[in-house]
Amino acid sequence: MKVINIDNQPWLSMPRTMKITTDGIRYRLFRASVTVAVITVAVAFLMNILAESLIKRAIAANTRERILKTQLNSIWASKLTSPGSPESIIIETATTEKGSDLYKETQAFAKFDDAAMEDFQELTKDINYIFNFFESLDYAKRRDLVHTSEGVDILRYLSDPENNKTFYIGLSRYKSIHFDMEKEELDAILAKIPQLDASINAILAARREANAKITEILRRDYPNANNDAERLAMALPNADKEFGDSIRSVGFVFDKETVAPELARQAQRLQDTTRMKNSIKDRPVRQLIAQEANILPADVNAVLMWNFLNDKDFAEKYLVKMADSGQNIEGLSAELLVDLAKGRKEAEALERAERLTMDAGRGFMGLGERLAWLLFVSLLVCGIGITNAMMMSVTERFTEIATLKCLGALDGFIMIMFVLESCFMGVVGGTIGAIIGALIGLGRMLSAFGVNFISAIPFLDVLGGMLISVILGTLLAAVAAVLPSWKAARLAPMEAMRVE
Amino acid sequence: MKTHTMAENIATEQGQSPDKNAEKRIIIRTVGLKKTYMMKDVLTQALRGVDVAIDQGEFISVMGPSGSGKSTFFNMIGALDSPTVGRVFIDEVDVAQLTAEELAYLRCHKIGYIFQSYNLIKYMTALENVTTPMAFGGVLADEARERGMEILDLVGLKDRWHHRPIEMSGGQQQRVAIARSLANNPSVLLCDEPTANLDVNTGQEIIDILVRLNTEKGVTIICATHDHRMMNICDRLMWIRDGQIDRIANRDEVHIELASIDGE
Repeated sequence: MKVINIDNQPWLSMPRTMKITTDGIRYRLFRASVTVAVITVAVAFLMNILAESLIKRAIAANTRERILKTQLNSIWASKLTSPGSPESIIIETATTEKGSDLYKETQAFAKFDDAAMEDFQELTKDINYIFNFFESLDYAKRRDLVHTSEGVDILRYLSDPENNKTFYIGLSRYKSIHFDMEKEELDAILAKIPQLDASINAILAARREANAKITEILRRDYPNANNDAERLAMALPNADKEFGDSIRSVGFVFDKETVAPELARQAQRLQDTTRMKNSIKDRPVRQLIAQEANILPADVNAVLMWNFLNDKDFAEKYLVKMADSGQNIEGLSAELLVDLAKGRKEAEALERAERLTMDAGRGFMGLGERLAWLLFVSLLVCGIGITNAMMMSVTERFTEIATLKCLGALDGFIMIMFVLESCFMGVVGGTIGAIIGALIGLGRMLSAFGVNFISAIPFLDVLGGMLISVILGTLLAAVAAVLPSWKAARLAPMEAMRVE
Repeated sequence: MKTHTMAENIATEQGQSPDKNAEKRIIIRTVGLKKTYMMKDVLTQALRGVDVAIDQGEFISVMGPSGSGKSTFFNMIGALDSPTVGRVFIDEVDVAQLTAEELAYLRCHKIGYIFQSYNLIKYMTALENVTTPMAFGGVLADEARERGMEILDLVGLKDRWHHRPIEMSGGQQQRVAIARSLANNPSVLLCDEPTANLDVNTGQEIIDILVRLNTEKGVTIICATHDHRMMNICDRLMWIRDGQIDRIANRDEVHIELASIDGE
């Protein structure tokens, strides 16, 4: 009995296989288009959600940043007059960059050396995590775990062994809560409470002292003001001049190049805006607005005023009316008014953006849990649809498959043929879907937030998301094709040989 | 037409190798071939013991009513299925012992298949259809194309190499199928009623081609057929009934009358 010597295995080169695949698709173009359309829809849906999440998250961060910058005025106003609370000190220290102005300032107030300040920041980061953890719980769960304690008191509460035990019992009961800290870690933190108290009290005391000195300076430099708040409002526009020096002299770290001028500008702007807000109390001014808006003078409000002040000609007329009413228009000009109006519009857009992005969820790529679940289900349904379509295709091509096997095709080749075909359609559908989804997402976000936020859009991230979507689409198509192609590969070639 | 001596016939039918004087060797041999199908608790005995030896270069016709086991027999000798009991030797290689890869190699290189419904790949051109088995056999593209055109010339379709099956008539498709089956110079051609779907004239063309292949190239041809013209030109005839060989006879032992209409 002879034995076969196989000198070369029956197999096809990749180009040849690709040609067979593409020819086959072209032959069944309509059916293939339907499958491609299914993949396109699935990937477009995925990409749309992905793009919107990514963009929303980026806009949220950007908005927070911008709002923070415009709040320099209020930040410093409160900083100069109040020492803060233990919680605010912890949160500020935890969230600031190492080596930032606030970092250096706190270190100076607490009289820490570099190592001690580092340790202190690490401690505040851990405590901040604990704060956030409890912040995220609903009221009922929170009560179960730490009763009604808040802020630093939570730590004191948990130091008691009984309460500590109750806390852990409660944790184990609620499966959905994840407290990412080991018991040893938490115990170590609780042990540092006395040390924490000492440091915080030192910082509070130093700040109180600085606040007292500032109040002294204010009373000295602005004797004509009625109260401390007024004095502060008058002093802040000079933050880039003498008042800035005063701030530095009492121990606050106050950057001369970037923070001071911006703070001065914002403070000045606040002053001017307040003046303008008060300007509508005089009748001639109100009449001007009422004429423009075609309403009664009694119905005039500040919103309308800001609306019209966007136009320079109107602004000039407005200034004249203000002067006629006896208001002080020193330092005001038409250009300034237009600028103020624009600034208000931007501030409004920022506020709206902050409201809209409140729900920019945390989590993988900014997706919420429910959205991820929805995506998974839709991809599953599409996958099943593709499997179904491929099964039909395989059944129709029984004879073709059997014939190929008679010509020498191995089972593995048949399987590869079908999976390749599916992958091909996956790539095409995925690419189209990714583009469509990204465009829709972009469009929706732009229309929701306005064109101002174009600079905040993370184009690179979105592109990365598109790549992931295409890969996912291809993977989906390939996985969906495994079952049908396996069935095809197992087909006996005698199906082709029907001798009847 | 070739003739056999009586002794040679008996020897081959009993599964023994023929005399040293014989010019041919046995290309396909079955010993005690039995095949049973189990379908939903019903045991079907398709083949109940078939012993046959087919010589190299022979042209043999296989006849039998449907359900006789003819298709099962073809599957066995075509390496498309394996027997329940018994052995099948193709070119002295025991088919039952082969792995899937070796079976694929066998189908690719040793056996050619021709089907009743041509079974061409519809989205490939004639040339591509012919060169696909060559590609499976590891032949390089240029050489494959050259040889493909040669074979197409052999069946008279050289100028239609770029046409797809849908652009060809039945006869032309069958000719492409024959060309395809010859792609890797097989030892055996297995034909399943090649002329059944063709009209009288085209059928005759196909038969002529097959005869030419048999006499000029020495290709062994095993045909399942009801076509009397096919039976007329073959060397041996075999009848299968109820899973066993009913009768094997040489051509000259069988009386065949061919029909004609108005002399055609």
